[in-house]
Amino acid sequence: MKIFSQRNREAVAAYLFILPAFGLLLLFILNPMAQSLITSFYDVNLISDQRSFLGMENYQHLLNDASFYQSLGNSFYFAILVIPIQTALALTLALLVKRSFPGVGVFRTIYFIPFIISMGVASSIFRMMYNKEAGLFNVILDGIGLPVLPFLSNPDIAMIGIVILGTWKSMGFFMIVFLAGLNNIPNDLYEAAQIDGAGPIKRFFSITLPLLKKVMAFVIIITTMDALKIFIPIYVTMAGGGPAGSTRTAAYFIYNHAFQHMDMGYATAAAFIFFIIILIISLIQMRVLRSDVEY
Amino acid sequence: MLNVIKVMLMTVIAFIVLLPVSWMVLSSFRLEEEIFKFTELGYHLLIPENWTLQNYRDIFSENQRPLDRYMLNTLFIAVTGTFLGLLVNSFAAFSFAKMRFPLKRSLFVIFLSTLAIPFEAIMVPQYMIIRDFGWLDTYTALIVPQIVWAFGIFLLVQFFSDIPRSLIEAARIDGASWLTIFFRVAVPMSWPAIITLGIITFVGKWDEFLWALIVISDDAKQVIQIAIASYSLETYTSWGMVFAASTIASIPTMIIFLLLQKYYIQGVTTSGIK
Repeated sequence: MKIFSQRNREAVAAYLFILPAFGLLLLFILNPMAQSLITSFYDVNLISDQRSFLGMENYQHLLNDASFYQSLGNSFYFAILVIPIQTALALTLALLVKRSFPGVGVFRTIYFIPFIISMGVASSIFRMMYNKEAGLFNVILDGIGLPVLPFLSNPDIAMIGIVILGTWKSMGFFMIVFLAGLNNIPNDLYEAAQIDGAGPIKRFFSITLPLLKKVMAFVIIITTMDALKIFIPIYVTMAGGGPAGSTRTAAYFIYNHAFQHMDMGYATAAAFIFFIIILIISLIQMRVLRSDVEY
Repeated sequence: MLNVIKVMLMTVIAFIVLLPVSWMVLSSFRLEEEIFKFTELGYHLLIPENWTLQNYRDIFSENQRPLDRYMLNTLFIAVTGTFLGLLVNSFAAFSFAKMRFPLKRSLFVIFLSTLAIPFEAIMVPQYMIIRDFGWLDTYTALIVPQIVWAFGIFLLVQFFSDIPRSLIEAARIDGASWLTIFFRVAVPMSWPAIITLGIITFVGKWDEFLWALIVISDDAKQVIQIAIASYSLETYTSWGMVFAASTIASIPTMIIFLLLQKYYIQGVTTSGIK
């Protein structure tokens, strides 16, 4: 009996490896997701525990709800700003600390430190730093003769404040990811290019960038998903999507309708539309930035 | 010359990056009335005028909400959650990266698609499951639902996929089981990645906020971030206490990071991930 060929045995082992993760995924993520989908067709009140079937009504309302479009717009605005800025800075830092010299470890450590400060803490600290009169950020801007940036009160620039916070918090992490990628590029490629007379800029664009494609794909996909889901700084730094709703992102919209208006059906319908949008974007990105993970 | 400019640039960036953190730490030693006192550039913008430990005394002597209790609660959740998470996610990542089996692509896409789910979308059904299991007000509720993490699997797949298949084939021919290959070949070759994921998971657990707010109502089992928020949400907010609690709350992650960074940042940079 040769039911268990080499190949089958590998498959069985693989499924066993995946089983714990898949079981938990099924129970705590996919199952709640399915229940959310069902909820989105109902009018659900958490307090009275009553539900009545609405069909597509929640979705129809959403598609006519200007504040929903606005929250989606705010999420995308944030993402479009933060993705290139954060990625470029992370790559720059990685290039700066790539070559080892005495003390380089100190710089790597320092650049990483914001990442290990919790988002809740960072958001409160930035809220105080952005204070128009006495916050450290504006005092310094004013002190060196630049105009102050009242992120907490000016709706036109409030989101920039979140971009700065997000970039400050995460660029060190992605620096390390880039660093790992950079170190995988064989040094002789650079030496060969140098002998052929390629300058540093040419070497960057014809060796570094193309060979970083896989890492770059990872960074961009993860940054996009994180950016679109941003919540804590909106809740804490901007005290709930302020000023004048200019930082109300989709995640905040969902939270607000679920736990402030207690309208679970409406909130889950919004969450579903949002989920589909993020999923489509991620799938497109994965196709465009196709990496050579061994499938 | 170029190197001097480079180091100067790096120093300036380091200063900017450290500014919010240093401001937080230094402000925690200020008296309440001093915190927003200085509005001009100068030495006292960062350095307290009158150093005090009062904020620290306040947060630890608070009878209602002793900070050390929350620290221990969160530490337990974070350590257990990180350990279980690393085990479960690296198992899955290894099979996705290195093993051949039917439906691999579809399963991987299912895992990845959960990355796009905003937590807010599944929070309420998740709460109901926890309630039906009788896990409300338990540490289990804070640990188990968050063990599996598609991001972690995704990260480790990137690293595991760099392990040469030939190495695995060789071990197979020598009669090694897949479990042995995982622990003896894959894990030792991927320490930087695993430690990286460990740090990220730990920081994430330490950061726990919204979920704890929902499933934990027993104050004695609450987590650190909620405790800090409660200091700042009081009608009379003591910013000094917020600064002090934030500083204290940053210490455990800082220690773990500084202890492990040798394996992690340096590990990533010296050996690479061949």
